[in-house]
Amino acid sequence: MLEIENLWLTIDGKQILKGIDLHMGPGDTYGLLGPNGAGKSTTIAALLGLRDYWSDRVVVLGQDPSLGAAEIRRDLGVMPEHAGFYDWMTASGYLRWYARLYGVSPTPREIDMLLGRVGLGNVYSHSIGTFSRGMKQRLALARALLPHPRLLILDEPTDGLDPNGRREIYNLLAEFVGDGQTGVLLCTHLLDDVDRLCNRIGIIDQGRTCIEGLLDALMAEKKGKQRFRLRLEGEPDTASLPDSVTLLGHTGQWWRIQSTTRPSEEPSAIWCELWQRGWKIVEINAEASGVEEIYMDHVTRSRQRRQ
Amino acid sequence: MKTIWIIAGKESAQILKSQRGLLGLLSFSGMLSAFSLLLVSDTELSLLDNAQVVYMLEGTVLAAGALIAAVLGSDAYAGEKERGTLVPLLCAPIAPETLLAGKAMGLLAAWAIMFVVAAPYLWAVGANGQNLGAALFYMALFGTPVVLGFGCLAMALSARTGSVLASLLSTLTLLMLSASPLFIGPGLRGTAIGRALDIINPFAGALNTFDSVIIDSQPFYAQLARALIVSVWMTGCLIAARHSAAHPRYQ
Repeated sequence: MLEIENLWLTIDGKQILKGIDLHMGPGDTYGLLGPNGAGKSTTIAALLGLRDYWSDRVVVLGQDPSLGAAEIRRDLGVMPEHAGFYDWMTASGYLRWYARLYGVSPTPREIDMLLGRVGLGNVYSHSIGTFSRGMKQRLALARALLPHPRLLILDEPTDGLDPNGRREIYNLLAEFVGDGQTGVLLCTHLLDDVDRLCNRIGIIDQGRTCIEGLLDALMAEKKGKQRFRLRLEGEPDTASLPDSVTLLGHTGQWWRIQSTTRPSEEPSAIWCELWQRGWKIVEINAEASGVEEIYMDHVTRSRQRRQ
Repeated sequence: MKTIWIIAGKESAQILKSQRGLLGLLSFSGMLSAFSLLLVSDTELSLLDNAQVVYMLEGTVLAAGALIAAVLGSDAYAGEKERGTLVPLLCAPIAPETLLAGKAMGLLAAWAIMFVVAAPYLWAVGANGQNLGAALFYMALFGTPVVLGFGCLAMALSARTGSVLASLLSTLTLLMLSASPLFIGPGLRGTAIGRALDIINPFAGALNTFDSVIIDSQPFYAQLARALIVSVWMTGCLIAARHSAAHPRYQ
C-alpha cells in the first residue's frame, strides 16, 4: 500500500528530509509521529506528488507519485492539517462539488448519510461560514471519505474536537480499516490517538526515521524499561538498590526510578524487592504511556547521536 | 475538460455569490454610472464627439477589467493558500494545468460579466448605439487577451510568491506602467519614448486600436500589428502562469 525507502527532499536549498522509511500494508493504521518541524507534513506532500524528491523507492498504491500523482490521488482521501473551505457554500453543496473533482457524483442521500456519519447531519444545508472549528474538522473528514479512498491520510484529525467528537472519529476510522483492504496514515502529535488507533508506528525527527515497526512489538521491547514516580514514607536506603532499578532523582516524598525487567516479567516483583530493602512505598505512578515512552526514548536518543 | 468547467463554475459562482464578488460588481457598475453621467451631463464633456465618448468609456472598461483580473489572479493561488482552500484542491486528482485552466476560465467569466454590464452604458453614451458594434467587437478581440494576460501574470506571481499583497502590488505596478499612455499627454506620446512605449505595450495596443477603429474608422487589417502585440503578451503571461502553477507555494 505504501513503501518509502530512504526519501530525501530539499526545499529552497534546505535539506528537509534526509532518509525517511515508511512501510504499511492493507488493514494497517500507521501513526507517523515526530516533533514539530520533523518533516511529517513534508513526507505527506511527497507522497501526494506535491514536492520533488529523491529516494531509493517510493510506491503509493502500487504507483510512483513522481510519475502519476493525479492517478494516485484518485484513490487517496486526504485530511490536511488546516481544514479550509469556501465559506459561502453549504456543507452538502461543497461535498457535491468536491466529489465532482474525483469524477464521482454522489446522490443527495449519500451526501446526507456521509454528513450524518461525521455528526453533521442536521447542518447539511447551513453555510460553512457559520461552522465552528470542530465542525469544519468533521467536514474535512467527510471530504476525505467522500471518494471511497483505499488509503486515508489524516494530518492531526482530532485537533480541535471535543471528547465526543474524538471518540466518533476513532469509531469511524476503526470502521474504515475494518475490511482489511484499506489503510490509514495518521500524522499526529497526540500520542493518545496513536495508542488507541494504530497498529504500526514510525517516529521521525529532523527529517530522519528514528524507528518504525509494529506497535505491539515495540511495546513488548519497551515494556522492559519503564519510568515510575514512587511516593515513599521516610528516607529510603539508596546505597543498595536492586540491579533492575536505577534512581533518577527525587523531589520531597516523590522518587523517580527506571525499572528494567524482562518482557515476561511484571514490575510488581520490583516493588516487593524494594519493600524488602526498606522502601516504604505509599503510591506508584507510571510516568508515561507505552507510546510516550517509546517516542521520548527514540527522539532523545536520535538527538544525542547527532550532537 | 470536464474538470476545468467544474473549477470554472466554482470560480464564477464565487463572484456572483460571495459578498466580495457582489461588492466588486456593484462598484464597477457604480463607477460606469458615474462616468457616463459625467460624460452626458458635464457642459464641456457633453460637447465631445460620440465616437470620442465611446472610446473614453471603452478605455475605462478595459482598465477596470485589467484591474479586476489583477485582483482575481492574485487571489487565485495565494488567496486560496491564505484561506487554507488550496491544499484540498492540490490533493484532488487534478493536473496543475487543469487547475490553472479552470481558474483562467473563471477570470474570463468575470470579464464576460463586466462586458455584459458595460454594454448598456456604451450604448447609452454612444447616442443610442452609434459605434456600439465596433466598440463591442474590438473590446472582445483586443480587450480579452489584455485582461487575460494581466490575470495570468497575477496568477503566476500569486502561485510563485504565495502572497496576495506581493502579487497584487507587482501586477498593479505593471498595469499602471502599461496604462501610462492614458495619463501622459499627446505631446509626450509623440516623443521617441512615448512611441516606443506605445509599440511594445499591450494595453496601449488595445487602446490605440479602439482609437483607430472607433474614432478614425480604420479597417481591421490596419490593426494586425497591434493584434500581434496583445497575442504575444497573452501567450507570454500564460506560459509564466503555467510554469509557476506547476509547483505553487501552498505552505
